[in-house]
Amino acid sequence: MSDPMDQGELAAAARAAVELARKKGAQEVAAGAYRARHVEVSWRDGQLEKVSEATSRGLGFELYVDGRYSAVGTSDLRPEALDRFLGDAVALTRKLEPDPFRTLPDEKLYHPRAQVDLELEDPSHEALTPARRREIVAEVEAAARAVKGAGAILSVTTSFSDSHSTGFRVHSNGFEGSSRGTDFWIAAEVSAKDPDGRRPEDWSAVGSRFYAALPDAAGVGRTAAERALSRLGSRKGESAVLPMLVENRCAARLVSFLFGALSGGSLQQRRSFLEGKLGEEIGSPALDIRDEPHVKRGFGSRLYDREGLASKPFRVFEQGRLASYYIDTYYGKKLRMAPTTRGPSNLAWGPGVGDQAELVRAVGEGILVTGFLGGNSNGTTGDFSLGAQGFRIRGGQLAEPVGEMNVSGNHLELWHRLAAVGSDPYPYSAMRTPSLLFEGVQFAGL
Amino acid sequence: MAAAGIRYFDRFGVTEELIARTIAEALSRGGDFADVFFQHAVTNDLALEDGSVNRAFTTVQLGVGVRVVKGDQTGYGYSEDLSLPALLSCARTAATIADGPSREAPSRYHVQSGLPQRYPVRLRWEEIGAERKLPLLGGLNERLLSADRRMRKVSVHFRDEAGAVLIADSQGRIVEDEQPMTLLYVSCLAEDGSRRESGGYNVAGRAGFEFYTPDRLDRVVREAVKRTAILFEAVPAPAGEMPVVLAAGSSGILLHEAIGHGMEADFNRKGVSIYADKIGKPIAAPFVNIVDDGTNEGARGAINVDDEGNAAGCTRLVEGGVLATYMHDAISAKHYGVAPTGNGRRESYQHAPLPRMRATYMLPGPHKKDEIIASVKRGIYCENFTNGQVNIGAGDFTFYVKNGWLIEDGKLSRPVKDVNIIGNGPRALEKVDMVSDDLAIDEGGWTCGKDGQSVPVSQGLPTVRVSSMTVGGRGQP
Repeated sequence: MSDPMDQGELAAAARAAVELARKKGAQEVAAGAYRARHVEVSWRDGQLEKVSEATSRGLGFELYVDGRYSAVGTSDLRPEALDRFLGDAVALTRKLEPDPFRTLPDEKLYHPRAQVDLELEDPSHEALTPARRREIVAEVEAAARAVKGAGAILSVTTSFSDSHSTGFRVHSNGFEGSSRGTDFWIAAEVSAKDPDGRRPEDWSAVGSRFYAALPDAAGVGRTAAERALSRLGSRKGESAVLPMLVENRCAARLVSFLFGALSGGSLQQRRSFLEGKLGEEIGSPALDIRDEPHVKRGFGSRLYDREGLASKPFRVFEQGRLASYYIDTYYGKKLRMAPTTRGPSNLAWGPGVGDQAELVRAVGEGILVTGFLGGNSNGTTGDFSLGAQGFRIRGGQLAEPVGEMNVSGNHLELWHRLAAVGSDPYPYSAMRTPSLLFEGVQFAGL
Repeated sequence: MAAAGIRYFDRFGVTEELIARTIAEALSRGGDFADVFFQHAVTNDLALEDGSVNRAFTTVQLGVGVRVVKGDQTGYGYSEDLSLPALLSCARTAATIADGPSREAPSRYHVQSGLPQRYPVRLRWEEIGAERKLPLLGGLNERLLSADRRMRKVSVHFRDEAGAVLIADSQGRIVEDEQPMTLLYVSCLAEDGSRRESGGYNVAGRAGFEFYTPDRLDRVVREAVKRTAILFEAVPAPAGEMPVVLAAGSSGILLHEAIGHGMEADFNRKGVSIYADKIGKPIAAPFVNIVDDGTNEGARGAINVDDEGNAAGCTRLVEGGVLATYMHDAISAKHYGVAPTGNGRRESYQHAPLPRMRATYMLPGPHKKDEIIASVKRGIYCENFTNGQVNIGAGDFTFYVKNGWLIEDGKLSRPVKDVNIIGNGPRALEKVDMVSDDLAIDEGGWTCGKDGQSVPVSQGLPTVRVSSMTVGGRGQP
């Protein structure tokens, strides 16, 4: 293949894949062809650590055979191997039990597809040189080592990675869609030496769909170093019920548990603590979230979802009230609910009340959580228990670092205690979580 | 040229000549070492939901990765296309980590034979059709639904993997290993009045269809029901520091997080592990012995050979309470001037190997389980776990307890559930003050994540007491 990212060839491959699957006995088919190029350079303590570069490819299928269903994929695209693979897949599907709920999406839901340029692909991507990538990773380390107190730094690892992916999807009931995108990431991880023998680490990362829109590389190194050094001397705090301010960067962990309970699959399987709660107040008015698929340059932006349904913005939580679930075609039929979309695109939060510093001042006494460690959440009951580290807040200011602590509660109570959200959505994730301030959270420590 | 000696990958056109030309290209800029990793894996999943096995998922992975090492530095390229031009292109990419005159490649390659057989398969997945597996899923569903009147929903997920890896390196070695795997997950949703609870059980191993003995399937049903039903009786776990007793078996997650990751040599050669500089020093009581073992027959974490072609043995991490050795891959072994320990593992051909765990467990100790529980006035007994995590440098680690018990006055009093426990690795090991004689290696489907790569692992533990850790509950301390 001359140009590995050529869309015409991918489209032809996906259309041919649908035809082949039909010839093998599938009545309906969804097929996707993809290629992805990924380059990564990492650098540690003054020299290159690793360079990795590859273009990868594959084909995926959803097969509907005699009322039965399977989903299969392969990276072995040799024609005779693909022919045999699909023949075997169709034969396997015939052995399953029929499933009347399993169909391709209603073709009416493929339209109207928004006519917007989401700006997901940087046309200058190919111009990025290996030499430039190496300059960036070295510059990030230099910045990390230039911060105040850098003498305590043990090791700095930095990286630059970029990828270019392209896909083409064809359904036998009329859907066609092509997707292309690029992303660029700069990251740094810094370890420092604590006099007591511990070696606390922290990281920083920035990313963008467009190379030219990446923030200053040196800032990544500085932030990672300052964060690692700020962990020196961290102690376990006392067990207490306190206000919890969750930094925007790590708030996605908490929010993802809430969103897991919104999926059609968890509802239909009765493993969701939000089952039967549509229209009810799940949280305080500060819980206000929209799903926004058409954000220009967004990490979760899309014109259609993984099933081909045309994407459109909608409200998920409106001033604390649960406004919508995430329902796909299959579980929509089982639940007798209209499909929305299978999962979140970009999230957009309601207006916030200030940045982290302002929230710290407002809370007075409490704990700022800057990282969760392990833990889990029970999707059926909403109980959660998570390791946490961060800083004690005293008198409206950040005080000593704390670690080896735990926070626990239940989501059905926690979100009612959401006292405020920040105006600082974290820009390097599709969830775009702001700082979240909760009252009355159980911390476990000493 | 005939592919003399290459067995599995012969069908994909992989020959010694193809390997020789790839390695020669990989060394063209003076790398110290190069290897080529071919992988073929066919994964079949069947799932039962709402009473019927109505979905299947099949994935075929075929690909190759080429690595060049210069000192501690790595160059890597991979491809799904196994043709000579594609391999040479990967080799040229990987070669850019070095920048000097070419290094001579071996003129002859030797296919190694006589690997250990740690996963002998009687019923090969290639020969087991769906019609053999379907009744197994349906049977579990019926048994689970009828086992408890509160049972409302059952889901069963069955996976088998067949395939092989081939590793060839610039020392002229070629090794092939067929690596089967199977997993069975069952989850249950039960209702009692307005209360709902979900629980389950899973088993995994490197084996064929013979893995599913009547005994094992009975245990799956029994454990899944028991672990779900007990949740209705659970009270909130307390919050704060207290003694923690870990049940024999999957509690090995303690070792995986508290010491395992920190003993992976890459973190130590970089100086970022809390265990850097601690080799030869006492870190635990003299009756504490911890190993990472690739040799347990049929275990999910067993390997005949690691993903760099090195023999996988039993690595003694802690001997008599003293830190004995790290877990090495080829890069760290050279860095430290020691023999590789067979811990160089990777998720797939898309990744360079890293030092990784296999089956990590503690050897039996001098105490008895009953004596350990009786010794605790107030604490927690942890039976089942879902996940854990660690900060390698700071040493803080967690594990999430799905099922456990309160210990009151030396007795298991009331069940607790859904509580995270947090500690600091070296301090928690120092506080391991009782170790029982009842070592059990868990049969569950554990997967370890590191640097974006997942590999299958096992873990085990005898009953152990840790004199104090922080329990992240909500109840009274």
